[in-house]
Amino acid sequence: MNLNATDLCLTVDGVDHLRNVTATFRPGRLHTVIGRTMAGKTTLLRALAGLQGVDSGSLTRAGEDFLRTPVWRRDTAMVYQQFINYPHLTVFDNVAFPLKRAGLSRDEIRHRVQQSLASVGLTDFGKRKPSQLSGGQQQRVAIARALARRTGILLLDEPLANLDYKLREQLRDEFKALFSDQGDTIVIYTTTEPAEAMMLGDVVLVMHEGRILQTGTPQEVFERPATTTVASIVNDPPMNVFAGRLKGGQVTVAGFQAAHVSAHLAELSDGAYQFGLRATDVSLASSGVDGEVTYVEISGSETFVHVVVGETPFVVQLEGIHDVDLGDLVKLRLRPDRLFAFDERGALVRTPSHDLVSVEGR
Amino acid sequence: MRSRLYPVFKYTVIALWACFVAGPFFWAMTTSFKNANAVQGGPTYIPWAQYEPTLTGWRNIFGGAGGVDVVGPFVNSAIVTVAASAISLALGSLAAYALSRYRFRLGFIKNSDIVFFFVSQRIMPPVVLVIPFFYLLQWGGLLDTIPGLVIVTVALLLPIAVWVMVDFFNGIPREIDEMAMLDGCPPFQTFVRAILPNSLPGLTVAAMFCAVFGWNDFFFAFRLTFTEVQTLPQAVVALNSSIPPWWTLSAAALFGVAPLILLALWVERLLSKGNLSGAVR
Amino acid sequence: MAQLDIVDVGHAYAPGAEEERWALKPLNLTFESGKTYALVGPSGCGKTTLLNILSGLVRPSRGRVRFDGVDVTALPTKARNIAQVFQFPVIYKSMTVYDNLAFPLQCRRWDKARIDAKVQQVAEALDLHDRLRQPARRLTADDKQLISLGRGLVRDDVAAVLMDEPLTVIDPQLKHSLRRKIREITEQFRPTVIYVTHDQYEAMSFAQELLVMKDGRAVQQGTPEQLFEAPSSTYVGYFIGSPAMNFLTVDHGDGPFALGGRPLSAAWDVPASTLKAGEVQVGVRPEHVRIVTDPGPNTFPGRLKGVSDHGAQRVLEVEIAGQPVRAKTPRDQGVPVGEEVLVHLPRAKVLPYADGELVLRS
Repeated sequence: MNLNATDLCLTVDGVDHLRNVTATFRPGRLHTVIGRTMAGKTTLLRALAGLQGVDSGSLTRAGEDFLRTPVWRRDTAMVYQQFINYPHLTVFDNVAFPLKRAGLSRDEIRHRVQQSLASVGLTDFGKRKPSQLSGGQQQRVAIARALARRTGILLLDEPLANLDYKLREQLRDEFKALFSDQGDTIVIYTTTEPAEAMMLGDVVLVMHEGRILQTGTPQEVFERPATTTVASIVNDPPMNVFAGRLKGGQVTVAGFQAAHVSAHLAELSDGAYQFGLRATDVSLASSGVDGEVTYVEISGSETFVHVVVGETPFVVQLEGIHDVDLGDLVKLRLRPDRLFAFDERGALVRTPSHDLVSVEGR
Repeated sequence: MRSRLYPVFKYTVIALWACFVAGPFFWAMTTSFKNANAVQGGPTYIPWAQYEPTLTGWRNIFGGAGGVDVVGPFVNSAIVTVAASAISLALGSLAAYALSRYRFRLGFIKNSDIVFFFVSQRIMPPVVLVIPFFYLLQWGGLLDTIPGLVIVTVALLLPIAVWVMVDFFNGIPREIDEMAMLDGCPPFQTFVRAILPNSLPGLTVAAMFCAVFGWNDFFFAFRLTFTEVQTLPQAVVALNSSIPPWWTLSAAALFGVAPLILLALWVERLLSKGNLSGAVR
Repeated sequence: MAQLDIVDVGHAYAPGAEEERWALKPLNLTFESGKTYALVGPSGCGKTTLLNILSGLVRPSRGRVRFDGVDVTALPTKARNIAQVFQFPVIYKSMTVYDNLAFPLQCRRWDKARIDAKVQQVAEALDLHDRLRQPARRLTADDKQLISLGRGLVRDDVAAVLMDEPLTVIDPQLKHSLRRKIREITEQFRPTVIYVTHDQYEAMSFAQELLVMKDGRAVQQGTPEQLFEAPSSTYVGYFIGSPAMNFLTVDHGDGPFALGGRPLSAAWDVPASTLKAGEVQVGVRPEHVRIVTDPGPNTFPGRLKGVSDHGAQRVLEVEIAGQPVRAKTPRDQGVPVGEEVLVHLPRAKVLPYADGELVLRS
């Protein structure tokens, strides 16, 4: 039973939260919705759950008009970004709460609660109150409650956003195993982190300013981003996008010669383009384009060096931790064979993999 | 550097204030065990040494000769207080939940205005209200009856209950409601199963305020009941004749205050155990 | 700016507790003048206790605190000349931005012209110079935090700036820019900064040196690069880096270590006589693990168990001799075909650990 959203629109106080959102969510698949903060991801989940009305559009599941179904009959579970549990109930009773409402037998309830507490690694915590648990454990309780019901729809709204990065890393791995076995449940998971969307999703929906920009497998979305906006959202750090000209086999960017054209761009006609290059495809070298370091970040095991070349900012991703100082003068090597080409309005024209572009969702 | 005398000064001030507050209680306590002679014999405080304690006052309030019966009024007060508090809490928390969770709009009137409207009823001096109440009860044939007094007391207590509970419900994340609905609860069940059990601290505080105001009300009972129904404050005041029997009056007053003292001790225990965290700011 | 010395300082909140249970076990540290330090570790590791000892909020149970050689152990906070930035912005709500910044100088009875010059200079760096006349209470949380920092920077006599999780109340999308701003400002003014956080990203992006703490002990002090390349313990190897360092239990006797019956050479030889009977492990970062096609030294047969697509990188989960190893590979390297793979652990990057501690080169 697919969940079909068609042309969902919502405007609140003159701000568009959902703009013609059309999507099909399929049972047994994990859909990740990726977008920056305020892209409309949470609003979309709330609309699917019935917690938020919409101005227009339709939402159906198995012929049922879902927009007319009250929240408590939508067969939907949701996990919030904040760790939301019933404070007055023990962990066991928290997980049992929806099962009791559903009228299951005592034995069945005990069995299911124990099973889902075990699946999130909280077997011995049944008697505690949520306030006696750490943030990560509280979120596990919320997930156990959502899983125990075996609902047809499971929504997760940035469930890892408020956790430390080590815990995020660990839970992300656990999720992969946990959600791979959800039978016929439609799972929808929102995130701002490309790596999370890529590694968890069977289907990735890229959302921006209330619109769904592209839908596809992680591979499709990552390797053939429909627009410069998609390219920047699905890459962390965002893909370097810069305006340039293609002329006589040369890519020229704001006064500097960025690269000789490699084979995949050779057929393109001369003219103005926007070029995209991932941070991993730019490196610091002994010769190349001159730039100045404006900022350095370290994220887990990578060093992100922000460099400005003339007026154009670049991010360079170096594996491992490196000591680079702000203000250092460096030389950049851009890999011409990894350039993405977009037209002036930002639509994808050519990818490094030499494919002709055909992308859905635009 | 602070003077070494500072602690001495600090504790002296605190001790003086404590005496000032506790003094009347002590006075009533000693007086309730005296007889006429001991009261007139000037201020004495230490039993056996300065005066011979008797139980005359205490006997008088339980139907002894020359006294009054406080048990009947005590029961009346208890019925009115408990009934009115319970009704106020039930109605008040429902109203407060609605005010906290749903947006009401009537022209320029918004939720905050409605809450203020409730509170404003306690700002008005009781004298303004008593005459309309009198006619209302007379019209309904409820003057000088317990149900009549309960209705009036509910009118007094409801604003308090609404005020305390709105504030408390606002402090409970809305996500809890949403989650309960997703978990299969329609709105009323959401309130009963997910919100009320989390509101015990707020309910306790609201109940305490209701009980205290209900129990202590003298003015409305005095004006709206006459012969059939008498509440405890009325009974105590009735003793205050031209030459008051101080020992009986003290015993009756202490008897009337006793439930509140027990209530205070109980709430204090809850507070110290942290059970009311979030309810008192 | 001053050099801060911690000499044999330890602290127990409960008097008379045995040393094993102290919140901060006795330690010696030096914070050099003009450098930025981050104290990082999970909650309860003692980092906040250490910060409070430096600020004078907590008087240590033992040991001395010296600022530029002067013993300040007994001095209260206000006599120590430190600037503090707390989790929640502390500003004078009734004052304008200008007055907030000028206040510490007015208290020191600087003359007006001098105050004005200094405030303008700092406001410029904070990017608040166009809002100096606004009431400070109207600013957003991140700008308020900048004022808290600015109040420390206007004073010339500040010994050190202490920051306690200053990004706690900042919206996730602003965290990044505020972190960058704080880094740029400290680069410009070069105060001695001690920054407490539980977030490894934040610590590594911000500080020149990190102090990793755990259970009241300073586990390792070093630059981000040192912590990444040579973790002093398996804990640091886990805590720093994403995914965490791989640790493999090896057999040891005379000669090189052995893994699954094959010899494994570490970056340096560890004489068998120096190892006790305890568990010996080798640590190697996922970034350094290579999937190769030809057998050779330090190359082991493994089984490919799973692949995580992180976007520009993939994480391959491999099993060698029954032990899990992760390898991080660039996307354009592709995924090996089949389950059987050869895994190369480059000798220079394989570090020996005994009982959880790095065995130093003898």
